[in-house]
Amino acid sequence: MSAPDSGNALAPELSNDVHQRIGQLTRQLHDALSGLGLAEKVKSWAGELPDAKDRLSYIARLTGEAAEKVLNNVDQAKQQHEHIASETRRIGALIVKDPVGAVARGHVLNFIDDVEKTSQQIDANLTNIMMAQDFHDLTGQVIAKVVNLAAGIESQLIELLLITAPPDPLVIATDTTSAAVPAKPLPVPQGPVVKPEGNPDVVKSQSEVDDLLASLGF
Amino acid sequence: MIPLALLKDLSMAAELKFLVVDDFSTMRRIVRNLLKEIGYADADEAEDGVAALNKLRNNSFDFVVSDINMPNMNGFQLLQEIKKDDKLKHIPVLMVTAEARKEDIVMAAQQGAAGYIVKPFTKATLEEKVNLILTKLGLRQ
Repeated sequence: MSAPDSGNALAPELSNDVHQRIGQLTRQLHDALSGLGLAEKVKSWAGELPDAKDRLSYIARLTGEAAEKVLNNVDQAKQQHEHIASETRRIGALIVKDPVGAVARGHVLNFIDDVEKTSQQIDANLTNIMMAQDFHDLTGQVIAKVVNLAAGIESQLIELLLITAPPDPLVIATDTTSAAVPAKPLPVPQGPVVKPEGNPDVVKSQSEVDDLLASLGF
Repeated sequence: MIPLALLKDLSMAAELKFLVVDDFSTMRRIVRNLLKEIGYADADEAEDGVAALNKLRNNSFDFVVSDINMPNMNGFQLLQEIKKDDKLKHIPVLMVTAEARKEDIVMAAQQGAAGYIVKPFTKATLEEKVNLILTKLGLRQ
């Protein structure tokens, strides 16, 4: 069965008209971008988008590492906990069988010592699990930056849309109002460095921080 | 055996009151828990520089552990406010931050930060820096 061709093919006059409209819109867009300095902003988006990609990769890496760290520490803690449980059962059986012997042969004291050491190891695992949650802070800062970038692009696109839309008194009025209130970004710290490799302006470890401060006499 | 003098100093250090400043509640909780683990159980928290300054001016604190990248008032601004306030400037401020640019570290030191830790950090690093600062101030042996 053949598809009906009516409606799919444009009449030659209509096709020319569409091409002309596209050409006009392209010229209008180009003029608007150049005239309002938006061309530079578009160039900067091109620079920022790979940066956003790096930031998202950083989030994926950090969350992955945190999950791995938590699971490893949980595995260890569970083994240690199981060790305490099985030792408790073993010592319990020894005490039931021969209470005096269990104490005299040092089984009970050894058990107490073992429980204390294993508990310390479990405590260290719990601390590691707690520390692994620091990804929330680090990724949160990076996510905020990516959201800001997306919001910036969105507002610029809206501005572009308003500029390039067909003349409309309401749109012109809105545009004039928005132009009267220029966005003034507050200076804020940069947040986590997602790509420290090859960047001489950032430190990569605490020892580099210490060395830098020591070189300054602190 | 731990000398009696050291025991006295350690107990004195344990009574110090800390203020943990970070906009992320997870990090505030982590730092408070770590401080407790290393012997400093008395800690309050604030979510940004403004809240921290308010608490510092209305309560008595001995030590501030502060993030830098925060809304309303960042860590640099908080440090500046603390150091220009005659009643607060004696309080040591340890920066614990993801800001890893060398210029930030230098600026923090020049503004009077007592120490600088980059995130992510370990319990051992926090313990070392806090104890070093307290030792320098004569609050711990």
